[in-house]
Amino acid sequence: MAMTAEQTRAFYPAWAERFAAEREALIALDGKVGDSDLGITMSKGFAAARDAVAALEEATIAGQMKAAGAALAKAAPSTMGTLMATGFLRGFKALESAGQFGTPEAATFWRAYAEGVAQRGKAQLGDKTVLDVLDPIAAALEASGSPLPQALDEAVTAAAAALEATKDMVAQHGKAAAFQEKSRGLPDAGGTVAVMLVEVMRDVAHRP
Amino acid sequence: MKKFLNTPEAFVDEMLEGIYRAHPQVTHAAGDLRCYVTANPVPGKVGIVTGGGSGHLPTFLGFVGENMLDGCAVGGVFQSPSSDQILEVTKHVDQGAGVLYLYGNYTGDIMNFDMAGELAELEDITTRTVMGNDDVASSVVGEEHKRRGVAGIFFLYKAAGAAAAEMLPLDEVARITDKARARTRTMGVALSPCIVPEVGKPSFTIGENEMEIGMGIHGEPGISREPLKPADEVVDVMMARIFAETDYKSGDEVAVLINGLGATPLEELYILFRRVSILMEERGVTIRHCWLGEFATSMEMAGASISVLHLDDELEPLLAKPVNTPFFKHIKV
Repeated sequence: MAMTAEQTRAFYPAWAERFAAEREALIALDGKVGDSDLGITMSKGFAAARDAVAALEEATIAGQMKAAGAALAKAAPSTMGTLMATGFLRGFKALESAGQFGTPEAATFWRAYAEGVAQRGKAQLGDKTVLDVLDPIAAALEASGSPLPQALDEAVTAAAAALEATKDMVAQHGKAAAFQEKSRGLPDAGGTVAVMLVEVMRDVAHRP
Repeated sequence: MKKFLNTPEAFVDEMLEGIYRAHPQVTHAAGDLRCYVTANPVPGKVGIVTGGGSGHLPTFLGFVGENMLDGCAVGGVFQSPSSDQILEVTKHVDQGAGVLYLYGNYTGDIMNFDMAGELAELEDITTRTVMGNDDVASSVVGEEHKRRGVAGIFFLYKAAGAAAAEMLPLDEVARITDKARARTRTMGVALSPCIVPEVGKPSFTIGENEMEIGMGIHGEPGISREPLKPADEVVDVMMARIFAETDYKSGDEVAVLINGLGATPLEELYILFRRVSILMEERGVTIRHCWLGEFATSMEMAGASISVLHLDDELEPLLAKPVNTPFFKHIKV
């Protein structure tokens, strides 16, 4: 069953709630190899995205993504905030004419998201970034023949495996790159965020 | 560290407050001191927006003014401004003819300007981008897209500002600016390091009798660390790199910028220019415009850079156009 625009609205408060709950955990995770601002970026950014989408009187699925992307860019000016904003804005462009959100639209969204992040962040697969989880999410949805809730189950499984695989990678970008070898053995903080994003989408898609 | 400041944290904002108090022809947008814009926008004109980290005055904001730039998003010392600040500047200066983003080729700035451009598009503002990449020392021929933008961006500001003042459309302003970019080369040499206020001490050292050829304006490593030589020999080494990848012919015209990095006196800049002028003369090249002074500094770094723009019939009159900004004036004589 594909979701309607009214139903996809529920993604945004659910993301805001999840990232508020994970704030301290993300700060601690990022603090090991970064500058500890990830938890703040994500909780502030998605709270702003939630408010921006809630303020829309009537919005298409893409219109919600547009509002969320613009709000993320404003509220979370860090690198990760900018990458998240880019992802949502690219999702908006890719789904501009979409009237529903089913498995094909989810695949389109995550592929556009991953490509936007790769382009803006100048990252490649294997660099130990959020891209190493975003790309497998998109690939899982593209390969799936299941309805949206089950397809997102598959994407969550792929994301968790991809996050696990980032432990063996060495950071090439941002502040974590200065820690290079120290980053080995740790899951990528951005990748952790990507897993949370798709988990929340999955949970909302499963709602009756 | 020996600097005039109140607190390191207030360094950028208090500098900006001083500039706004001194120069009523500039102001700030969106209630943010760091969204620096002209107080006198020209209706219907393409807006020229720059931005980048603080610590380089007069670059970047110093060239906002008549016939030059319209706005500048100001970052912390050596840090990019945010995409939101760039967007606010963009919205403020757009006069319906679109906005040219003109800044130096640095990763953080690229990410934020690209993001701002994407956000501006949502507000129906068209943007184009030209990134200065004049620093010959920062990458080899064939990899020019990796080169950093340094003092030579001044020529791009002048060409872009003049083209926009002629009321040319955005694509034309971008084309001309990109041409100036492709014809500009800079070589720098550093004699002493700089201190970021919030860090409090130099992040690298240069020995008493040493120079670093090709060092970037944030202290990025250059091409070689050598014993300091007489000024003429230093110029010969720098200009050899520029001559090696340009094709100045007898009868050609250039513009030359001798830029002090912050702690080098004007006297020394003229000693450098003397030699540059002799080398150009030997090649039959006319220096049609020359500017000396501080244009793109690196806090209190001692050193200098030489920038050369290879003029043509289109660029020359644009470079000759008078400008009036708080930090730079060019008057027709």
